[in-house]
Amino acid sequence: MTSLPDLKRINDRYRMFTAVTDSTEYDGEFVFSAKDNLTTYDFPATAGSKILEGYRPPFDATPVKKMREAGGFLAGKTNMDEFGFGTFSANSAFGIPLNPYDLNRSCGGSSGGAACAAAVLEDHVALGVSTGGSIVCPASFCGVYGIAPTYGRVSRYGLIDYGNSLDKVGVLSTKASDLSRYLRVIAGKDPKDPTSCAQPEMPEALGKIRSVAVPKEAVQGVSKGVMECFNKSLEALKGMGVDVETVDMPVLKYAMPAYYVLATSEASTNLARYCGMRYGQQDGDLTLRFDDYFTSFRSQYFGDEAKRRILLGTFTRMVGYADRYYSKALRVRASVISEYKKVYETHDAVATPTMPFISPRFDEIADMSALDVYKADFLTIPPNLTGMPHMSMPCGYSEGMPVGLMLTADHWREDLLLGAAIEWEKGFRIVKPEVIA
Amino acid sequence: MDREIVERAARIAHLDLTAEELDRYEKDLSEILDHFQMLDEIPGEDTEGFTPVPVEDVLRDDVPNTDIPPEDLLRGMKTYDGYVRGPRLS
Repeated sequence: MTSLPDLKRINDRYRMFTAVTDSTEYDGEFVFSAKDNLTTYDFPATAGSKILEGYRPPFDATPVKKMREAGGFLAGKTNMDEFGFGTFSANSAFGIPLNPYDLNRSCGGSSGGAACAAAVLEDHVALGVSTGGSIVCPASFCGVYGIAPTYGRVSRYGLIDYGNSLDKVGVLSTKASDLSRYLRVIAGKDPKDPTSCAQPEMPEALGKIRSVAVPKEAVQGVSKGVMECFNKSLEALKGMGVDVETVDMPVLKYAMPAYYVLATSEASTNLARYCGMRYGQQDGDLTLRFDDYFTSFRSQYFGDEAKRRILLGTFTRMVGYADRYYSKALRVRASVISEYKKVYETHDAVATPTMPFISPRFDEIADMSALDVYKADFLTIPPNLTGMPHMSMPCGYSEGMPVGLMLTADHWREDLLLGAAIEWEKGFRIVKPEVIA
Repeated sequence: MDREIVERAARIAHLDLTAEELDRYEKDLSEILDHFQMLDEIPGEDTEGFTPVPVEDVLRDDVPNTDIPPEDLLRGMKTYDGYVRGPRLS
């Protein structure tokens, strides 16, 4: 048996878990956590939503099952924005995880608890989930490595859906080698998720990136501090023998609206299942007529951002608007995929900053409009919309806060990203936060 | 997006919104949809694939089996005599 740190005490300070083990020791090869939208038989699953409070799944999600089979000990479930709806993990019904580099700042979202756990706990690997940037954003803000694989690389069986055509399970850790090791553990075909069954094998060997493209459009609107770190990173890549070329990718700007149309359309249908029966909260008045029961229940327990996205997604699918929004967004997604594929004819990867700014303070977040928050995702959305594997690597510090470098590769080319992370780690030392429990 | 459309979407989505929520969402969604108008600038490709990569249909043989025991599934639900309890239908 191996001793565990006092996770409850650490969680009191950083609030990265929605549920954490009572054990003080474990029998296994490694310790991991799962984002709270992945089901596990031994912890509740809330997906950050009040409406699921009390839900105790009877089964493990496939990625969790595979981690256990590989010798993993599940230490807890990590906090997140409600159903993944957010960029700062500030939309959870169960408190807000705090950035270990500055407790007044966000961990990023929506896998904020996962990134916080990876940054704070020694030798910890966190399973995160990305729909529009929810792995790389918090990885960047918390100064850890984070990879979201190709859509379909990892089974979504047991994942509480946000957007079915966008959700991906991935890995966060302070060690680049963990990304390679554990992505291979959770990847693979699973008959319980047909979208995982068309994937080619992930190559055993790590790939080597020889050239990266930097889209002009991706460095507009990026803060000075982040740009300084990004430019230094490009110099470091050149020093590693990687060609760096600036390119035009004008279609990228349409990714943000297309993403939010598709993501909210899918979310609004997925969330129709939460009606006060079968999962979580079920304390409604059963004497009400069924329409009134469902409505009262959903109105009471969905959070503000969940309601906003349900309304947006319902609208974009409504008769008279679906062609203009939903169908159009599907066609625009195809255009963005084509734009990337064209770049991959001459380059191995696309490089951008992960986020346009360092982690904001909570008072700054409170002043942002819903649209401001959506716009903050403009760098992380294109690879997510297109289902392409992408990874954030810690690449510097601005005002004492971590900055991330994001690499995006073609579908199924995680090997290139994993190889780049291993090479990058040889020349970049993470400045760990001072952890006080 | 005007008030009437927000109310219609809320009705379809089974959400009962307060006057304050209606005001707020009307403002937020109008701002968001104004920004989304940029989608009109680009024709997009002549395809409407529902997933970003091709997927396979995986159908198992049509043989009944029990993946999760029903009693485990019912444990977290309000039940009566083995049935899930729900509200009145009329």
